[in-house]
Amino acid sequence: MTFAETISSARAENRTLLSEVEAKAALGNAGIPVTATTLAQTREEAAAQAEAIGYPVALKVVSPNVAHKSDVGGVVLGLESHEEVAEGYDEIISSVQAAQPSANIEGVSVQEMASPGVEVIVGVTTDPQFGPVMMFGLGGIMVEVLGDVAFRLAPLGEGDARDMIDEIQGRQVLDGVRGQPPVDIRAIEAMLDGVSAFAAEHPEVAELDLNPVIASPEGAIAVDARIVLAEA
Amino acid sequence: MSVPGHPLDRMFNPKTVAIIGDKGPNYMWLRNNQPFKDRGGNLYSVQIDEKEIPGIEELGIENFRALTDIPEPVDYALVAVPRHVSPYVMKDLIEAEVGGAAFFTSGFAETGEELGVSLQAQLTEMAREANFNVVGPNCMGLYLPRVGVRFNPDVPVADDGRVGFVSQSGTHSIMFSLVMGANGMHLSRCASFGNAIVLDISDYLEYLTEDPETDVIAMYVEGVKDGPRFVKALRAATARKPVVVWKGGQTDAGARATMSHTGSLASPHAVWQGIMRQCGAISTNSLDETVDAVKVLLDAKPSTGKRMALMAMTGGQSVSITDAFVGQGFEVGRLSEGSYEELSSFFNIIGGSFQNPLDMAGTVQGKRETLERILSILDADESVDALVMEQSAMFGARQWKDHPERVEDLVDTLASHIERSAKPFLMVMHPAHEEAFVAEVRLKFAERRIPVFASFERAAAAAARALPQGTRS
Repeated sequence: MTFAETISSARAENRTLLSEVEAKAALGNAGIPVTATTLAQTREEAAAQAEAIGYPVALKVVSPNVAHKSDVGGVVLGLESHEEVAEGYDEIISSVQAAQPSANIEGVSVQEMASPGVEVIVGVTTDPQFGPVMMFGLGGIMVEVLGDVAFRLAPLGEGDARDMIDEIQGRQVLDGVRGQPPVDIRAIEAMLDGVSAFAAEHPEVAELDLNPVIASPEGAIAVDARIVLAEA
Repeated sequence: MSVPGHPLDRMFNPKTVAIIGDKGPNYMWLRNNQPFKDRGGNLYSVQIDEKEIPGIEELGIENFRALTDIPEPVDYALVAVPRHVSPYVMKDLIEAEVGGAAFFTSGFAETGEELGVSLQAQLTEMAREANFNVVGPNCMGLYLPRVGVRFNPDVPVADDGRVGFVSQSGTHSIMFSLVMGANGMHLSRCASFGNAIVLDISDYLEYLTEDPETDVIAMYVEGVKDGPRFVKALRAATARKPVVVWKGGQTDAGARATMSHTGSLASPHAVWQGIMRQCGAISTNSLDETVDAVKVLLDAKPSTGKRMALMAMTGGQSVSITDAFVGQGFEVGRLSEGSYEELSSFFNIIGGSFQNPLDMAGTVQGKRETLERILSILDADESVDALVMEQSAMFGARQWKDHPERVEDLVDTLASHIERSAKPFLMVMHPAHEEAFVAEVRLKFAERRIPVFASFERAAAAAARALPQGTRS
């Protein structure tokens, strides 16, 4: 499905929030590294998709009604085999049904697990005065509690991505602290530039979160993605 | 000097000015603008109220009963009529082909009431249709220190202003002009633009960008109506000259609903800061920060280096000056071995130190040659990017009162050093118990373009913001 088709189908269903599977497909097609993510609607499909992606995998419920997946038992991580995936699928369906009986469950996404690294956040929002704006920050507590983030107008110009990365207070974390290796800064820059180009190309995108993106010495990859369309 | 062909050029370089509707007993606007007449400009009053006219003529200003009766083309008009009269005045301004008019008149959309809103809409439509330059309404209008057009009786008339200021607030435009003057710095042009029904911040910014008399631009802004245009104008401006943007208040976007994490984190302040960086503008949050940043931009030589040589007069001050500069991200490191060798040959280390920071009162003891020697050693030191010297009024004031020639001598020593040196030099003079005296002394330093700050913290913050863009050569 092209992104234009995804947008039309969301519009047809009168929703502005895209599913994680839809968001990652659109970003992946635009060349932005995202963890492989597919939608399974049976336990067999889930197991087969996990075989194709390679272990370990994560499973997450796909439902337009579930805002916080882990709160309703909708997330299982680190599954290592065909059997674990099939069981994990059943477990998610029954937990979510029990916790939120009214939820419309479309299935379960099967996801590649990123290797460990530093969690960062990359996002886009639309400022009422200035239009699309890019955000970068360190993930987790740094962004939640300290609001340690940098903003720039999109599209980013030459050097802007690097300036955003260098601006945050916790910048040193990316260079490796307590014996951790430095992460690939250029890969984060490339992701910021890629998301900036994606936002510029698709003015329908009002908000976008890649949270977290895992940055490591090997690169940067978005593990979760959320896209909110502007009201039609 | 002007920007030939620019639509705002006539009002920014007026030869004839009309004050419309000023009233006694104070005739505030006519009095504010007397210097324009004194400097050879044609200053006229327009007033139909018979009982006001004798008072106007007593001021030596010719009054006309209609704007259209004025024999010369009017370049700038200041309108101070009641709001319901303003559409009639607008009609005359357009008919007389005035270069531009500022409406001191208020009571428009800012009141939120129906009459005000509709009067503003009417003025806007008339002006837009005629392509007429309106400053305001609800503003203090233009301040043009070279020609003597003023918005306040205390702001200086001066020929050497190099700072352009644009302000959404009338108060801040007056305060900035006054405080700049008290620091020995003058404006080239200033516009207080109020409700900005026709000319908006970007129009003024574009003019100041082209203006050969403006070397540094500063502005006070609360919010902008056309974000993308402002960003474009700001980028074009910073490509030509330093721009300081003092942001007041938060925009009304704070409460908007968002579904994303990014949206929830995008406070108007955070987004604004990011945009300012991206545009190459210097961000400030207050009047003092703005004046301080402008001072560095005007009078300091540029440097992107972070290595400071700090000179204090006492041990306590040398600790505090170091704290302030380190706190702003500067380095206060070791000097070169050569410098230490030279300094050790004459430095008095009893109650002093020539490490960095230097604690040097006991060595200098008011001797010009010694201070010059220290300055030239630090100037030549390759591990030093910039120099900061402390001289508080604690000891200084008494000496300077008793021996005024010592002030002259110190000023001359420092000014001569700055002229010779390629490195930035900043001075910190805490007024201590002598606010009024120091205010006068500071002007003597400013006359010779020695940038003086009232505290270590203010000097360090201004240096961090503005040193890389210093315009002094």
